[in-house]
Amino acid sequence: MLPLSLLNAAQNKPMLVELKNGETFNGHLVNCDNFMNITLREVYQTSAEGDKFWKLKECYIRGSTIKYLRVPDPLLDAVKDEQARAREANKFRGGHAGGAARGGRGGPQRGGRGGARGAPLRGGRGGRGRGM
Amino acid sequence: MSSLQGYVDRRVFLVLQDGRSIVGTLAGYDQKSNVVLSNSTERVYSSDEGVEEIPLGLYLVKGDMICLIGEVDEEADQALDLTTIRAEPLPPIRY
Repeated sequence: MLPLSLLNAAQNKPMLVELKNGETFNGHLVNCDNFMNITLREVYQTSAEGDKFWKLKECYIRGSTIKYLRVPDPLLDAVKDEQARAREANKFRGGHAGGAARGGRGGPQRGGRGGARGAPLRGGRGGRGRGM
Repeated sequence: MSSLQGYVDRRVFLVLQDGRSIVGTLAGYDQKSNVVLSNSTERVYSSDEGVEEIPLGLYLVKGDMICLIGEVDEEADQALDLTTIRAEPLPPIRY
């Protein structure tokens, strides 16, 4: 399991983050990215010596400054289950497309006509996006 | 290519740049050597007391911080009586 999949699954979960300078941040994960930059909400910050505390509504932590993250134990099984389900779903889809015949024909066809069919579709989607 | 794949689902011993030692089960890793440890504990060494084991649970350690990852020989490890071990704690890395 990839560390980043675990982190992604930890959204809205409580966690403890220690920075390289020893400061710790306790809060709920709001968001994260592939650099492990994270935002936390309802944060308790503790100084490296453990003698000073701050309460922050929200904070952003640059991924490169993080030493480690401590996350709730049940998350490991949650991610493993989800990955198992995703694998099953993939197998299922593969079984339906089934055959080399259908898969083989479907691929190039879709690719070939995609330009004509895809363009208006994409335009439509873009329009909707801008509209919103 | 060097890889941590062989250590997945095994007990491993981590030494961090700040001198901490952590033992846990390697649940995952990535290209930057970020690692996920489950059922992890920190082992705090001291010269006048036995080794203190602090449960940490599920841990995600950034690759930047890791000095060493070793596979634990579970048999040998279980034979250890940590309470009798006296050792100076590792100092943090200095630049």
